[in-house]
Amino acid sequence: MSMQKRILLAKMGLDCHDTGIVTVAQILRDAGYEVVYLGLHNDARQVVKVATEEDVDAIGISFLSGQHMTQVRRLFDEMRRAGLAVPVICGGIIPDEDARALREMGVAEVIPAGTLSAEVARLVAGSLAEPA
Amino acid sequence: MSAKGAAAGTARDHEEQIFETGAGIDINEMYRPDDVGDFDSARDLGEPGEFPFTRGPYPGMYRERIWTRRFQVGFGSPQETNERIKYLHGQGANGFVITIDLPTSYGFDSDDPVADGEVGVTGVPISTLEDMETLYDGFGPDAVSYALSIRPPVSSVTLAMLAAVAEKKNVPFEKVIGTQQNDPFYQMSGGPLQTITQFFPLDGTLRLCVDNIEFISKNMPRLNWMVTNGYNLRETGVDAIQDGAFSLGHAFAIYRRARERGLDVNLFPRKASFFLSCSIDFFEEIAKFRAMRRLYAKTMRDEFGATNPECWRLRFSVQSAGNTLTRQQPQVNIIRASVEAMAAVFGGAQSIHLCSYDEAHGLPTEESSRIALRTQQVIAYESGITKTIDPLGGSWYVESLTNRMEAEIRARLEDIDRRGGMIDCIREGWLEQQINGARIKNQADLDSGRRTLVGVNRFTIAPEDETPLQIHKIKADVWGARRAEYLRDYRAGRDAGKWAEAMARIELAWKAGDNMVPVLMDALKNKATMGECHEAMRQAQSWSFR
Repeated sequence: MSMQKRILLAKMGLDCHDTGIVTVAQILRDAGYEVVYLGLHNDARQVVKVATEEDVDAIGISFLSGQHMTQVRRLFDEMRRAGLAVPVICGGIIPDEDARALREMGVAEVIPAGTLSAEVARLVAGSLAEPA
Repeated sequence: MSAKGAAAGTARDHEEQIFETGAGIDINEMYRPDDVGDFDSARDLGEPGEFPFTRGPYPGMYRERIWTRRFQVGFGSPQETNERIKYLHGQGANGFVITIDLPTSYGFDSDDPVADGEVGVTGVPISTLEDMETLYDGFGPDAVSYALSIRPPVSSVTLAMLAAVAEKKNVPFEKVIGTQQNDPFYQMSGGPLQTITQFFPLDGTLRLCVDNIEFISKNMPRLNWMVTNGYNLRETGVDAIQDGAFSLGHAFAIYRRARERGLDVNLFPRKASFFLSCSIDFFEEIAKFRAMRRLYAKTMRDEFGATNPECWRLRFSVQSAGNTLTRQQPQVNIIRASVEAMAAVFGGAQSIHLCSYDEAHGLPTEESSRIALRTQQVIAYESGITKTIDPLGGSWYVESLTNRMEAEIRARLEDIDRRGGMIDCIREGWLEQQINGARIKNQADLDSGRRTLVGVNRFTIAPEDETPLQIHKIKADVWGARRAEYLRDYRAGRDAGKWAEAMARIELAWKAGDNMVPVLMDALKNKATMGECHEAMRQAQSWSFR
């Protein structure tokens, strides 16, 4: 059995700024993860469906245009409905206050824009080590 | 000086540096006359406002008029946006960039399930003709200039709305001013083709782009019909050479399509312009703007065969590079924006918008937007750098770099042409490969320290030492609910028979290959909504994404 951790990355909603998530996908591949990148414009149902089918160890969602609170709330609702419990990591342009609120909602880690690769890998590894 | 300082002074520190521009052009220790080759000032620079426009697109440049400082407005609802415009108009502004929320950018009504949580967040929602009338409340479209950051298919509907507003206000079409950005590819965030193809077929988008050009060039001679959006493309991380080549290649691809439609190359390019990024590599950006202007002039004259000098002139607006902003020590971003604004001024920009310093944290606040504007005002009214035209013209370094940029951009353009032109390069994923290559390189350069980013990989401070920021508050749930109620009432208040007839005409016109703008005007006047117009056009192409 492969010990390689598998992580699902996706953009949700209409925002299409993908420089961050495409870069993070490469950082995580270099760090030894198997990355499933779902592309843009996903809704919670699609993310949870693929996460379940692909049996991933974590979900990473990137935001830039202010949709993070609404979309993450929906993602957790859908995960509960589907009985999926894996760590959710958010990244991108997220105000500090909202980052705290996301953590309270259950987000394992919020990785802000401008984080160097080694730190991204360390934060992701940390979230995967904790029980979801 | 202390003894210690003096000692350090005798053994001068040697700092490791890399002597190349952002795009990797080597930089010499010093430039001499030899470095500009057979430089001929009359041929290579000319006069400002004359071929090849290296020194600027207009004769007097900033001595006659300081660049436009457009205000970006658009949030919450058309009513709130109009109130803000009225306030700013009272303060002397008459040019506005209207930012549109994401659902509208894709042609969705505010109450579409896809729009949930996104209404009014990044801009104003526009779903009905009445919404556009609200934006113009108190003004005619001949009195204030709105630049709508919108691309086809949606720009066909907003153009039809603008035309219908002009009719209602008895403003003749030929007096309508403003801008429909109308760039089919880069209006969204540049890179992925998925942003263009997810909700509307690509061929339909390109057809509507040319429909708009045709309608505007025949009816609205003062309206800017296309702004090639090099900005969003550059924001993906490509370098200055790629930026110049992809932006020009893209504009030329659209011009060729317009020419194939039978439009006059001595007419339609007059009201085309560019929206470009100005990044942090000071001299390279200045050289990029000068080189693009010269290359554009030569291409329009020699390749397109335009004989009207107005069609040789590249005009551009600038936004400072959002991707040079840092989340860490965000106040430093004000300095970055100042450097970028000065490069834009030395490059001869017609309009400048500076990013706010807090944009790596959230949407800008009133305070951060004001500082961005004040930065420009210091440059415009205090620094004196505007007082002579093209002050760097004749510098051996700047002219050498301008020549080099022109040659590099031209070589990339020839490569793009060999690949079938920019539209094919986008369709076939070549552009996306180029972008992804640049992204990986940029991250590697930051990780390794090959490129310095102050506050990120050098000169850092602990998070607890950061100065706290004000944050722009988003009320997406409130805005969405209010808009849903409004649209319910709007649809309930229309003549269902007339509406259905107008919707049927959309399908007929689409299939007949007619220009869609007049048909959309008719539908909007019969209270069809933005989302319904798009759905009808999708159905006419037997296409669905849902």
